[in-house]
Amino acid sequence: MSEPEPATPFRERAGQALDDRFLQEALTIATTKFITLRREAFDAFPQGDALRDQARAIKEATLRRLDHWLEMLIDNVERRGGHVHYASGADEARRIVLDIARRTGARMAVKSKSMATEEIHLNDALEAAGVTPVETDLGEYIIQLAHERPSHIIAPAIHKTKGQVAELFRRELNRDAAPDPEVLTQIARAELRQKFLQADLGITGANFGVAETGTVVLVTNEGNGRMVTSLPRVHVAVMGVEKVIPSMTDLAVFLAILARSATGQKLSVYTSLVNGPRRGGELEGPEEFHLVLLDNGRIRQIAGPLREALSCLRCGACLNVCPVYRQIGGHAYGYTYPGPIGILLTAMLNGPGSVKDLAHASSLCGACADACPVRIDIPRMLIELRREVDEQRIAPWPERVVFGAFARLLQRPALYRLGTRFGRLLQRPFARHGRIRRLPLFFGSWTRTRDLPPIAARTFQERWAELEREARR
Amino acid sequence: MTTRAEFLHRIRTEMGRAPGPAAGATAPRPAPRERLEVLRRELSERWRESLERFAVEFERVGGVLHRVGDAAEVPGVVARIAGERRARSVIAWPGATLGVDVTASLQERGLDAVAMPEAEVTPPERARLRAVAAAADVGVTGVDLAVAETGTLIVVSGAGRPRSASLLPSCHVAVFDREALVESLEQVGVALEAWHDGDDAAGRGAAINFITGPSRTADIELTLTRGVHGPREVHAVFVERGLDVRHRV
Repeated sequence: MSEPEPATPFRERAGQALDDRFLQEALTIATTKFITLRREAFDAFPQGDALRDQARAIKEATLRRLDHWLEMLIDNVERRGGHVHYASGADEARRIVLDIARRTGARMAVKSKSMATEEIHLNDALEAAGVTPVETDLGEYIIQLAHERPSHIIAPAIHKTKGQVAELFRRELNRDAAPDPEVLTQIARAELRQKFLQADLGITGANFGVAETGTVVLVTNEGNGRMVTSLPRVHVAVMGVEKVIPSMTDLAVFLAILARSATGQKLSVYTSLVNGPRRGGELEGPEEFHLVLLDNGRIRQIAGPLREALSCLRCGACLNVCPVYRQIGGHAYGYTYPGPIGILLTAMLNGPGSVKDLAHASSLCGACADACPVRIDIPRMLIELRREVDEQRIAPWPERVVFGAFARLLQRPALYRLGTRFGRLLQRPFARHGRIRRLPLFFGSWTRTRDLPPIAARTFQERWAELEREARR
Repeated sequence: MTTRAEFLHRIRTEMGRAPGPAAGATAPRPAPRERLEVLRRELSERWRESLERFAVEFERVGGVLHRVGDAAEVPGVVARIAGERRARSVIAWPGATLGVDVTASLQERGLDAVAMPEAEVTPPERARLRAVAAAADVGVTGVDLAVAETGTLIVVSGAGRPRSASLLPSCHVAVFDREALVESLEQVGVALEAWHDGDDAAGRGAAINFITGPSRTADIELTLTRGVHGPREVHAVFVERGLDVRHRV
C-alpha cells in the first residue's frame, strides 16, 4: 500500500460531494467547458483521429521494448551530466528526493505541478525533513495554502470560489485582496516570484522522457515549469517509467493531441525540453540534474490486467466526460488520481483492494474511452477490476452472497423459471406504479440509489413459449 | 536502494510474461540532419504562406506581430513597445545571437538596456545578471523556430541565449526572420532530431522552450488570466530582409 486508505467510506464521501451545492455548480461549469473546448479543438483538427491512433501505437511499441528505451534514456541523461535514480515504491522515491535535499543543503523547494509527486505524497515528507515545499502552479498553490488535495488532474482548485481564494490569501498571506481572479493571480505571481528566486531545489514531474536525446519534457501554461527548471541550483524530476517515448518525432505526435484533449489549446503555452544541468555559457539552469524513475506498481502491469492504463497521458479528458466524476468531483474518490482513469491508477498503485467500491463508481457508458486521446479502454478494465475484486473475496459479503445466488440461478433454466414465479409473489408488497423503490434487509443497499423494474406479469420467456404454441396451431 | 540492474531486471521479467509478440528493432530513419536540410529548402519556397498562417495563429493565442523590412528597424519597435508601457529597463540577447544589436540604440533612446553576455561568466556575475533580468520590464530574444500551425516560438538556450529574457520580464519581444519559419509540429520534430543528432553543438544550452502566447492560467473559477509566472505580453518582430545571426543552432 503506498497511499493511506481514506478515513470515510466512499459512499459517505460521494454523499458529501452531492450535498455540496457550490461544488455541484462548479463541477458542472468546469467539466462542461472543458468538454466544449476539447470538442471544438478536435473538430478543427481533422488529422487528430489518425494522430490518436499513432500516439497509441507509439505507446504500445515503446512498452514492448521498455527496457531498451529506458536504458537509452538513462544513458543519455548520464552522458549529459545528469544523475538517474531508481525508486521501487513511494517510500524509496521520497527517500531519494530527501537525500538530494539533505546533501545539497536545501531549505526550500519550488514545485511545478506534478501528479507523480502527489502520488508519492512528497510534500509531507519534505516538510517533515525541514524543507519547505512550495507548489507554484496557481491551482496547486491555492490548495496547498488551504491544506487540501487536488480535485482535478489539470484544474486542481476548481472546487474553490474566487471569494474563498481571496479569504485564503487574506488569512495565509496577510494580503488584502478583492475577490477578482486577475488581482488574486497577480498576488500569487509576486509571492511566488520571490520563492523561485530563493529556492535551492526545483522539483517537477515529467510529461515525457525522450530516450534518444535524454530529454525531460514539461508542459505548463503558467511558466512555472520553466522557472523551476531554470532558477534553483538543483532540479529533480520524478517520472513514472511509462512516460518514456523513443524520439523527438514521437514527441511531436503527442504534443499535437495532449493540450487539445486537456484544455482545447493547440499547444499549452509552454513546452519545456530539459536536457540536464546548466551548460557552459548559460546564465541559468541547475548545477545538478536528477531523474528519479518511479515504478510504484507500474512495472508489474506490463504483464498485468491494467497494462493499457500505462499509456495514460494524464490529460484529464476522461474526468470531464464521466457522469460519475461530474457529480462527485475529485475528492470523493479519496486517492491521488480521480475519475475513470484514476480508479485504474489507484488499483495499479495500491492494489485492487483499494478500489473495491470505486470499481463500481462508473456507469460503464464508455464516454471515457471515447474521450481518451490514446483510446484506453477504461470500461473494459473496470469490469476486469470488478471481477478481480470479486474473485479475491474483498467485496462486501452481502454483495457476494446475493450475486453468488443470482449467478447460480442464471445457470439453471428450471430454477430460473421457478425463481421468476416465486419473485413475482415476493415483490407484491414492494412494487408501486411499475417500479420497486424500496427493498427490505440488505437488499435495501441496492434500492437506496436505484429503482428496480418489477418482474413482468408475463415474462418474455413465457410470452415466447405462448407464441410458439400459437404458431404450431 | 534499488540499482539500475535490479530495476531493469524487474522490467525484463515482466516483459517476458506479457502476452503478444516481442517487438523487433525500430525501422531505420533517414539521417536527421539531411532530412532537415531537405525540409529547409522546401520551406524556403513557401515562407510567405507560413508567415501568414503564423500571423493568424500567433494573434489567436494572444501574441502581437510586428513586421519590419530591415534589422535596423528592430530597436525602434522595441523602444515603441517599451514606451507604450512606460517601461524603463530592457534586457536583450547580444547581437551575435539576436542577429541585430539593440542595446546601444535603446540606450541612445534613453532606455536602461543591458546586453546579456555571449560567453561563460563568473558565478557572482551570473547572480548579478539574473537579478538584472528579474527586475527588467522587457526581454528581447531571438527565435529558433516559429511554428505556423500553432503560433509557437521555439527558443533554444545557450551562451548568449539566456532563458530568463523570455521568462522573467512581463513583456517578451522575440525577433525572427524567414529562416525560423516552419509549418507544423511534425516539422518541429524533424528539427529537434537534427539538433540532437551526434555531439551537441558548442554554445548550445540545456533547455529548449516552446512559447505559445503569454503565460496564462484559468485556475480561479476558469477565468482566463494572463501573466501568472511568465510574461503577460508576447510580441514577435518579423524582419523581412533577414537577421545577421552569427550563431544559429
